[in-house]
Amino acid sequence: MPKTYTKKKIFVVAVGMILILVLLIGRLGYLMIFQSEYYMKKAESLHERERSIKAKRGIIYDRNGVELAGNKPVCSVSVIHSQITDENRVVKSLCDVLELEEQTVRKKVEANTIREKIKSNVDKENADRLREMNLDGVMIDEDYKRYYPYNSLASKVLGFTGSDNQGIVGLEVAYEDVLAGTPGSILTLTDANGLEIENEAESRIEPVSGNNLYISIDINMQKYAEQAAIKVLKQKQAKRVSVVLMNPQNGEIYAMVNVPEYNLNEPYTLVNVEDLYVAPQKEEKEETVETTAKQEEKTEEEKKENKSENLTEKEKQDALNNMWRNFCINDTYEPGSTFKLVTATAALEEDVVKLDNTFSCPGFRMVEDRRIRCHKVTGHGTETFKQGFMNSCNPVFIDVGARVGVSNMYKNYKKLGLFERTGVDLPGEASSIMHKEENVKAVELATMSFGQSFQITPLQLLRAASAVINGGTLVTPHFGMYTTDETGKKTKTFAYEEKENAIKKSTSETMKELLEAVVAEGSGNKGQVAGYRVGGKTATSEKLPRGNGKYISSFLGFAPADNPQIVGIILIDEPVGIYYGGTIAAPVMSEMYSNILPYLGIEADYTQTDATETSVIIDFEDTVE
Amino acid sequence: MAGRKPEHSNKRIKKKSSSLFVKSDFFDYSLLFIILFLVAFGLVMVYSTSSYTAELKTGNATYYLKRQGIFALLGIGTMILISKLDYHWWKKWSLLLMCGVIGLLVLVLILGTASHGAVRWIAIGPVQFQPSEAAKIVIILFTAHMATIKAARIGNLKIMFKVLVLPIVAVALIAKENLSTGIICAAIALMIVFVTSPRIKQFVMMGFGVVALMGIFLMVASYRLERLKIWLHPENYDKGYQTLQALYAIGSGGIFGKGLGQSIQKLGFIPESHNDFVFSVICEELGLFGAACVIAIFVLLIWRCVMIAMSAPDLYGALIVVGVITHIAVQVIINIAVVTNTFPPTGVPLPFISYGGTALFGLLVEMGLVLSVARQIRISKEY
Repeated sequence: MPKTYTKKKIFVVAVGMILILVLLIGRLGYLMIFQSEYYMKKAESLHERERSIKAKRGIIYDRNGVELAGNKPVCSVSVIHSQITDENRVVKSLCDVLELEEQTVRKKVEANTIREKIKSNVDKENADRLREMNLDGVMIDEDYKRYYPYNSLASKVLGFTGSDNQGIVGLEVAYEDVLAGTPGSILTLTDANGLEIENEAESRIEPVSGNNLYISIDINMQKYAEQAAIKVLKQKQAKRVSVVLMNPQNGEIYAMVNVPEYNLNEPYTLVNVEDLYVAPQKEEKEETVETTAKQEEKTEEEKKENKSENLTEKEKQDALNNMWRNFCINDTYEPGSTFKLVTATAALEEDVVKLDNTFSCPGFRMVEDRRIRCHKVTGHGTETFKQGFMNSCNPVFIDVGARVGVSNMYKNYKKLGLFERTGVDLPGEASSIMHKEENVKAVELATMSFGQSFQITPLQLLRAASAVINGGTLVTPHFGMYTTDETGKKTKTFAYEEKENAIKKSTSETMKELLEAVVAEGSGNKGQVAGYRVGGKTATSEKLPRGNGKYISSFLGFAPADNPQIVGIILIDEPVGIYYGGTIAAPVMSEMYSNILPYLGIEADYTQTDATETSVIIDFEDTVE
Repeated sequence: MAGRKPEHSNKRIKKKSSSLFVKSDFFDYSLLFIILFLVAFGLVMVYSTSSYTAELKTGNATYYLKRQGIFALLGIGTMILISKLDYHWWKKWSLLLMCGVIGLLVLVLILGTASHGAVRWIAIGPVQFQPSEAAKIVIILFTAHMATIKAARIGNLKIMFKVLVLPIVAVALIAKENLSTGIICAAIALMIVFVTSPRIKQFVMMGFGVVALMGIFLMVASYRLERLKIWLHPENYDKGYQTLQALYAIGSGGIFGKGLGQSIQKLGFIPESHNDFVFSVICEELGLFGAACVIAIFVLLIWRCVMIAMSAPDLYGALIVVGVITHIAVQVIINIAVVTNTFPPTGVPLPFISYGGTALFGLLVEMGLVLSVARQIRISKEY
């Protein structure tokens, strides 16, 4: 048996050891009760990863249910550093398949982060190629990319989305709330390498798909309009051509064209207008042109290419922004003679003129010390108000404007919504630029009467014209009609403000008669459409600064004249050669209407318009100034 | 042996002890149960902590469990075998074993394969053998034997030094590569001498001396001083990562834990969580309650061993048990203290539970010794 002191010592030592262990339990208690929350939070922030699940973006349909903007399955490729076994192979494969620069890829591959995104919006084809390579640490996630089946159709209306499928311009951004949906999220736990732990998903919130949007655009009318616009753009070597077609009764926009349009699937590729002029004939040309000329052309082309490549980042961004602009809404211009319909409306509203009142036009009118010329230098002579309207005679409108007076004129502008934005459902609408009422003197009033010295947007003019011809209701031009959910159930129908009786019904009736006369017998006669009663007004506005020989030729037309179902405006910006609106713009509208009016189900009535059938088809090249 | 008379059997037993096996009616099943429980619990925790990383690394979730299980089975078999042996039999071999271990330790220094930065292993075929684990057992057997021989005069410092000279050589060789194991071995030898000696004062003096030496040691080896800094502010140092992760695990356990197998920290956040930091995962999965239970079982184990030591048939048996108690207790204390950042970080496995075949095997051999001592307790005299 061990000695007593040995036993004692063993006992004391053992008790001491056990005491220490008890103290350690105390330490544990402190850590696990009082410090528990602190460490738990730290640990959780280390483990938890919130991963969002993209919501499917709503589809944009035209009024007939044709898909204008949809979703295409694509993939996003990312790397997880800690799982990569063969760094060089990964870098090389990624560069080859995704066509990326080695330096940037290597940087991302070597970054010791949980997950580094290499590229999103990768084609399924390329993603499958990568998948087949079986690279460790390369993750491929399915995703959706916005896809526009008609490429450039209505590009400036639809707009496009960014890398995260968020709307950037156009309807895509205007209806972002509707289309985007609500992304879901998965709160997952990950291990130290950032790998998700299966069956450990703490919570999952399902994404809510965006609503589908039905817009008032009619793809067929849009196509007609775009074709017509491109045709005239080429023929007149114009800078751009814009067309808006709208239902004047409710403000639904059937078509809005701004050529050159850009490819929505490649929104960052600059479009050169000049390419459009020659594109279709290019091949033919090259075959026939002599070799020397060919070379010259090539060097010229190279120069052009270099030019676009040499653009600085800022210049390129500006060029892109400019390309994305919707001229009908984002820019203002001097409307010119089309605006005379507003002056006439004001005069009729204020009852200061009768259709048979006579005026005289010596070819100019002196206003204070200014001599304001009529476009017909020799003068129209004595004419009634109706004739003056049909002739688009400036002195007549100067006189009528003076009769209306500044305050009444401004009152009527206001009634026709010229001081406010149209309220169209597209972003970036421009406001009109008008003289302050108190600054308007006789000269300003005179010029304003025939559409100069102020600026409005084409859509503002179209809206005012709609009120003039639809019996006096000021409508809100718009695209968005209604939304549906994924299953096609209607979720929301958009309502737009309409101000009834903005002008008197009788004024509207008279104006329709006047405008029909313009097309039937006056300056807009090239806007006639066989079998239909068309009303309209032409304009040729000289761009500022005056005297540079740059014009905007336009024509505003509607049909049928007695009960307008469609109103449209066409603007040809900087045409080369003949620039009179009545000569170059009106025939385009006529051509469009000859297709569109039957399409709208409006039956032609040939009995009345037999007399005018000769002037339906006009070839620009034959028209001599 | 049925007619054996306990009062006169002392000499007879000694005589008998020359034979290899001892027959006894007594076997400490309580202790056996505690041991088996700890081993089983250890296997569960090794599987829990290693399965995820094992799956990732080797494709086999049970990789570590299987290896540990083989050692556990071998160890338990060996433990039973040793418990049947008369512990006096080891006396003959203790000097030879001591010299052998010292030789092995020297060999490790020269030939050892590198592992974990310091050289501690000898590879024998596929098995990596850690001489320092064997050294612990041998130091227990050798010191106990020497102390028993010199028990009467051990109060004399010279005699005490004679007892300790070979263990000190072994400790020095171990401490050169692995300070914490060295400290444990030193503690074992000192504790055996301490309980044998009737004196106290000189040990108190020695205690102060050791503390002073430690201080100097820390000053000299700058990386140890750095460890102290890491200990005080683990969040400020890269090397404090493991400690910090252990604290996250412990803290997130709360009172009842996340449940067995539910630890997140073991998924690579705590490096090699099946090794020295297994206790932090126990805390995370089983909570304060489970952790306290584990400590309580160790307390029970220690207490049971203390009882055996105090009722051992002779001093030699008692000293063997004291050595084993010291080994286990010191290791448990250091391990838990390190994991809870109560003590500067150092790599000491948790007995029976941490992954490590040699260590588990060695512990089971030691428990075999304790059981064999227990078998020779003459119960009839107690009543």
